[in-house]
Amino acid sequence: MSAASTPPASEEAEAPSPARPRTDRYDASSITVLSGLEAVRQNPGMYIGSTDLAGLHHLVYELVDNAIDESQAGYCRRITVTLLADGSCAVEDDGRGIPVDMHPLEGRPACEVVLTKLHAGGKFRRQSYQYTAGLHGVGLSCLNALSEWLVLEVWRDGFHYRQPYAAGRAVGELAKIGPSGRRGTRISFRPDPRIFGAELSFSAPTLVSRLRELSFLNPGLHIRLLDQGSGEEREFQYDSGIAGFLRHLNQDAKVLHPQPLALRLAQPGVDIEVVMQWTAGYGENILSYVNSINTVHGGTHLSGLKNALTRTVNRYASELGILKAENGERISTFDILEGLTAVLSVRMETPSFEGQTKTRVTNPELKTMVDEGVSGALLAALRADSRLAAQVVARALDASRARLAARRASERIRIQSVDTRVSKEVYQRQFGIRSQNWHQSAVWIANQALLAEHVRQLPSGHYPRMLDVCCGSGVVGASFKGRVGTMFGLDLTPEMIALARARLDCLTQGTVYQLPFRDNTFDLVVNREVLHLLPNPERPVAEIFRVLKPGGRFIVGQILPFGPEDAAWMYRVFKKKQPLIFNMFQEDDFRELLLGAGLVDLTMSEYRLWESIDVWIDTHETTNLHRHEIRELFYQAPQEVREVHPFEILPTGEIRDLWRWCVFSARKP
Amino acid sequence: MDALPGLPTHEKLKQAFRLEAGTVQRYLYFARIADIEGFPDVAQTFRNLAESGICNAQGNLDFLKRVGDPDTDLPIGETDLNLTAAISATILEQTESYPLMAKVAREEGLLDIANWFETMTRTKKVHEQKLKKALAQLAAVRQEEPQ
Ligand SMILES: Nc1ncnc2c1ncn2[C@@H]1O[C@H](COP(=O)(O)OP(=O)(O)O)[C@@H](O)[C@H]1O
Ligand SMILES: [Mg+2]
Repeated sequence: MSAASTPPASEEAEAPSPARPRTDRYDASSITVLSGLEAVRQNPGMYIGSTDLAGLHHLVYELVDNAIDESQAGYCRRITVTLLADGSCAVEDDGRGIPVDMHPLEGRPACEVVLTKLHAGGKFRRQSYQYTAGLHGVGLSCLNALSEWLVLEVWRDGFHYRQPYAAGRAVGELAKIGPSGRRGTRISFRPDPRIFGAELSFSAPTLVSRLRELSFLNPGLHIRLLDQGSGEEREFQYDSGIAGFLRHLNQDAKVLHPQPLALRLAQPGVDIEVVMQWTAGYGENILSYVNSINTVHGGTHLSGLKNALTRTVNRYASELGILKAENGERISTFDILEGLTAVLSVRMETPSFEGQTKTRVTNPELKTMVDEGVSGALLAALRADSRLAAQVVARALDASRARLAARRASERIRIQSVDTRVSKEVYQRQFGIRSQNWHQSAVWIANQALLAEHVRQLPSGHYPRMLDVCCGSGVVGASFKGRVGTMFGLDLTPEMIALARARLDCLTQGTVYQLPFRDNTFDLVVNREVLHLLPNPERPVAEIFRVLKPGGRFIVGQILPFGPEDAAWMYRVFKKKQPLIFNMFQEDDFRELLLGAGLVDLTMSEYRLWESIDVWIDTHETTNLHRHEIRELFYQAPQEVREVHPFEILPTGEIRDLWRWCVFSARKP
Repeated sequence: MDALPGLPTHEKLKQAFRLEAGTVQRYLYFARIADIEGFPDVAQTFRNLAESGICNAQGNLDFLKRVGDPDTDLPIGETDLNLTAAISATILEQTESYPLMAKVAREEGLLDIANWFETMTRTKKVHEQKLKKALAQLAAVRQEEPQ
């Protein structure tokens, strides 16, 4: 933060020691009173959530929300957001225009009052607006306080007005520029680099997703985004509402039932709309809104929806006799939400939110209203369409059985591992299912640069026979093409072997604990990201050593923690993603594992790869609860972990993790 | 109070401390699940009770502080003592407690759990270093202080 905005009271950095009494006075002159706008600049997080990318974009959303409120009131049809080359942004609408007449109490033009005074606005009384995103009258004044400069333009009552501001204060009078027939408001501003840091800038893709969402939520409204930097222009206008939004969200998904469930409940002062559709995916994707605000942390409306779904599906399933409720059989919320895409949009007069960034709605009555409304409508919908109902119930039961099976599988492997043998069926089942979308199940699998990193570890030489062990689809082995002769592959799972046939020459089904090859057979063995899944990894490594010719190479890639600081945390994340994990290797463990088998000349190179965990956790191995828990582990990652392990949470909520790939290469003497 | 060390009540205080500390962690864990399942009220109840649990756990420490650290029996109270006790606890954990746990798990064939305990051993080494650094910094600050 700049020196200018530091209050005089906190200039003393050192704490005074009792031995050296302070000489300055402590009296009324030491008490600082911050004006509203100084308070915003001092503590921006309280008003816009944070001063990172999310906070920066929040500034734009405050303006867009105001325009949306204006359109909900029935006066605005077009909104244009422009990103300018100098890092500023302008939001323009064709609404009524912020009032410019003198405010009776403040003695200043009303527009100057809303831009410079906290808690000034037209939404406290419900005369000019009914359902609004804005409420407390702090959006514009905060935006203004956090802007290096801001220019307000209003077209109203036949004239074009203009007023400049800097750091929250008017630096000129409201001027009448000339006559004009149009109507509307345009606010241009440049976020203050002293608050946000000079390196942060607006991201068009982030704005695109929010603006698209807004245009779905407000059918008919026309929203445009101009990015002057790239010259790109996007326009959004949908008449399909949240039903269209759902179609958009599910465009690439395999849906379970062609027609989404759509429910609408209107009561005086509250209007609730829900659309839902189950997919064959594993993730749950429920978006919830109150007056077009994306309540990313949910709240009472979302709890109501989850309750209603759980209650109704269970009730219907026991009505059908599929579920023996009297024996305590019950489908859990997780199982019902698995694979569900839903959009819940509430419009209401008096929403209450946690914090100015409004990520969670708290009105208690909303929970009962959504719960009861949705339960009734959903039950009726299920009873009316027995095919749809059967699909929904079967989907949930499937999820619940899969979860039980996964638990049993991990219990079984526990018992088996007493004599340290791997349960082949468990692995075969797990990887057999995953083979269906193997290359889509994580970014790293087919990442070319990472594969190239493995090949780079191979010294030049003659390698007539290569074995890709636990080869999966064979991508690792195949990347050595041209450097080696015959490419062998071995895997436990028939489905994987079928996949690998397209890439490798000679495939064998078998286990790495007992390689079906003679001693000294291969010049090169390669393997990637498997040893952590294997109990007693020394055994497979010993097997690999055995089948290598003297002088042969072993090249192996493995994701490792950045240090002991993030190892336990990563252990939890990975174990929740994949219950079959047996080892969270640290770098020295892994070296020891290879050297312990008798390998020599060990070298290692690191390759860092960003991976969106959303893709990675969206597989059948990860239960819905675990998916949520993994996200929580990132949200709540301990400071010690954050210091060594980079990851980022994007404004959209997506989590991107940096993976430390270590590629080891060693030689059999 | 002087009579406390070695008395059954001393053991009971340690036990009460562990119970309450464990309760806090369990409730925070349960709260997260309740949140995910969509029961924020239940989550809030768990969190509120966890907060009381913290207060309760520390109430036991108020008594224990006079006789020593519940984990190491070393004297605690002031920051340098606390750091020293914390350091010996991490050493104890990495050289005895966790290696023993890992050994037991390995013998029982629970190899993932064994690896988890081994991971803890490493973590504790790092924590020991960090605490030692804090202790050294504290000593340096004390040096500068006018006596
Ligand atoms: N685009 C706009 N068109 C018309 N009036 C606006 C517009 N933006 C803001 N206003 C007026 O300015 C007031 C203050 O806006 P703001 O500071 O964002 O607070 P809030 O939206 O919470 O009321 C609004 O209540 C409204 O009366
Ligand atoms: Mg507003």
